[in-house]
Amino acid sequence: MAIAVARSPLVERSPVLMQVAALTKRYRDQAALAGVSFEVRAGEVLGLIGPNGSGKTTLLEAVAGVLPADAGDVLWRDAPLPVGRRRDVVFYLPDGLRPWDDQFVPRVLAFFAAVYGRSEEELADTVRAVGLSPVLGKRVLALSKGYGRRLMLALALLTPHPVLLLDEPFDGFDLKQTREVMTLLRRVAANGRTLVLAIHQLADAERVCDRFILLAGGAVRGVGTLAELRAAAKLGTAGLEEVFLALT
Amino acid sequence: MRSPEAADVRRAPLAPLLVKELWGVVTGRALWTMLLILCPIVGYSFAQAVSLYGEASAAAKDAPVLATGLSPLDGVLVPTFGAFYVTVTLLFPFVAIRALGREKESGTLRLLVQLPYRVPTLIAAKLAAVAGAWLIAIVPALSALALWAAFGGHLHAAETLNLLLGHLLYGLLIAAIALFAAAIAESAATAAIIALAVTIGSWVLDFALTGQPGLFEWIARLSLTQALRPFEQGLFSVGVVIATLAAIAGFAALAAVWLHPGVPLREKLVRSLLVAIAAAAVVLAATQVRTAIDVAEDRRNSFPAADDRAVKELREPLVITVHLAPEDPRYADLRRNVLGKLERAMAHVTIRLASSGQTMVASTSDPSYGEVEYVYGGRSDRSRSTSHREILPLLYGLAGIPPPAPEPGGDYPGYPLIAKAQAALPWFLGMLPILIILAWWWSCRPPRIPMRLVEEGGKT
Repeated sequence: MAIAVARSPLVERSPVLMQVAALTKRYRDQAALAGVSFEVRAGEVLGLIGPNGSGKTTLLEAVAGVLPADAGDVLWRDAPLPVGRRRDVVFYLPDGLRPWDDQFVPRVLAFFAAVYGRSEEELADTVRAVGLSPVLGKRVLALSKGYGRRLMLALALLTPHPVLLLDEPFDGFDLKQTREVMTLLRRVAANGRTLVLAIHQLADAERVCDRFILLAGGAVRGVGTLAELRAAAKLGTAGLEEVFLALT
Repeated sequence: MRSPEAADVRRAPLAPLLVKELWGVVTGRALWTMLLILCPIVGYSFAQAVSLYGEASAAAKDAPVLATGLSPLDGVLVPTFGAFYVTVTLLFPFVAIRALGREKESGTLRLLVQLPYRVPTLIAAKLAAVAGAWLIAIVPALSALALWAAFGGHLHAAETLNLLLGHLLYGLLIAAIALFAAAIAESAATAAIIALAVTIGSWVLDFALTGQPGLFEWIARLSLTQALRPFEQGLFSVGVVIATLAAIAGFAALAAVWLHPGVPLREKLVRSLLVAIAAAAVVLAATQVRTAIDVAEDRRNSFPAADDRAVKELREPLVITVHLAPEDPRYADLRRNVLGKLERAMAHVTIRLASSGQTMVASTSDPSYGEVEYVYGGRSDRSRSTSHREILPLLYGLAGIPPPAPEPGGDYPGYPLIAKAQAALPWFLGMLPILIILAWWWSCRPPRIPMRLVEEGGKT
């Protein structure tokens, strides 16, 4: 089933929801994040683009408040958002995680649904949306990589947070599954949630994201839509890959 | 899918978290392995205790006066629960560590701390789940009590419940230490090493330093085993209960401080220091609380009822100077038979060790060594006795009051029983392990999947 992934043309005019200002994180002598600043607009799908080791995961974890940053701020609708209150508005889904892997899938789903007050109908909607039905009788540790990723996605969809930070959401999916998940994520964004996706596959990012943050060596090398980045790189009709190489 | 909204940490229901934690503990191998190990250990200890109690009871048949010394608390309950105590010390940390260590090792902790619960709530839920695991783990020991009752053995409700309370507090203390170890360690293996270092190190303190003079004596009091001892003696000590609860709360609070990966190290260290100071202050204050209730049926922790009432009437301060080294067995006798009982009965008792800090060998050259001086109401007297039968008349003399008349009928009768201990072994070595394996199998079954999930999810 071929699915077209449509982007929202209204995103550029959306209000700024969250601002990340001069976020810095060092591991001994190495700067994992060097004063990273950007803004997140309501309802957009923002792609955090960079090669392995560029600081994408560190950035997401620092924004979510599960990793202490050395310096910098996160603002929510222009007001400071302390670390202790990040979980009120932001939910971060780590990469490659098998949560509570010795439990059965329905038990993990039911836990999240109960915590966030979701009805059985909403839970069924989520299971249908991510296609988890075939593995409901399995333990989390017995899931394939793709189904493990679907479970994580289901957990994120059960949360009520306005902003979802997803680390490598397409890792583990084949081409068809990737397109299905892209469509799902676009639908989530169309329903009013804002997504920040850390992606190292530039082709995937180009298909699903409204705007991009190009990250290399822990520093932001470019921010904007593909058209804006093309203009900055002075590459007329180039794809994201060429633009990324030109700007980093 | 619902529209986005802010998650409210104050409205998240506790029940799902508790259920998740309980499932986490119950579905783990650690608890069931511990239970299977407990069966033969508790069973063997119980059989041995009943057998020895039977031999002593047989001797009491010919000499009835011996029967008064036969207490099921000392003869059966404490040895049986002693086996439970050893297993809890060595294996229960693994059960508690699993409640947190697995989430930490797998990275699931990063999801957990984003849930709408405060970190102390997360730790409290884990501690509650581990307490639930303790309630399951104590089943073999409780079944030993049931067998003892079935054999016709006597159980005194107050002293039995008091012993169970002591073991519960001890189990929670071990659990809190293990949770703290899991919170600070990067892996479950490291956490286990830390927790066992504390529990086994505590045994070393207990074995090596108890009875030593000066600072060593104070250090020996830090042993975890000390928390259990009054309960094994049939004493409900308010100070020990408060101190143990404070230690449990302190370690749990430290676990909460170290749980969140988003808190900087320096902040964790400062908070840890504050928690440690607060917990230590409460523990220290609790050691000054002398209130205790003698729940032993044989009233071993109190003077005879008439004397107890008479001693309680002595309102003036009593100062006792003991010319004995702390490691001298006579001091232990004096403490158990007289000093401890006086401290519990009288409001103002001060006990001083004249040879504090000196060893027994160095002190014995002192001609007054062995004497105990009692000062009350401006009058003093000395005695070398360690028995209340001689000391109490001395105190009545100092106070100028006549000794009370003994009350007839209050003597402890003793409960001799000759039972076939071997009859318990098939239960502990066969039936109970089979029941535990069945329960383990039940806990591993997949949950019921709501039809709506299967039907609607299946449409995709």
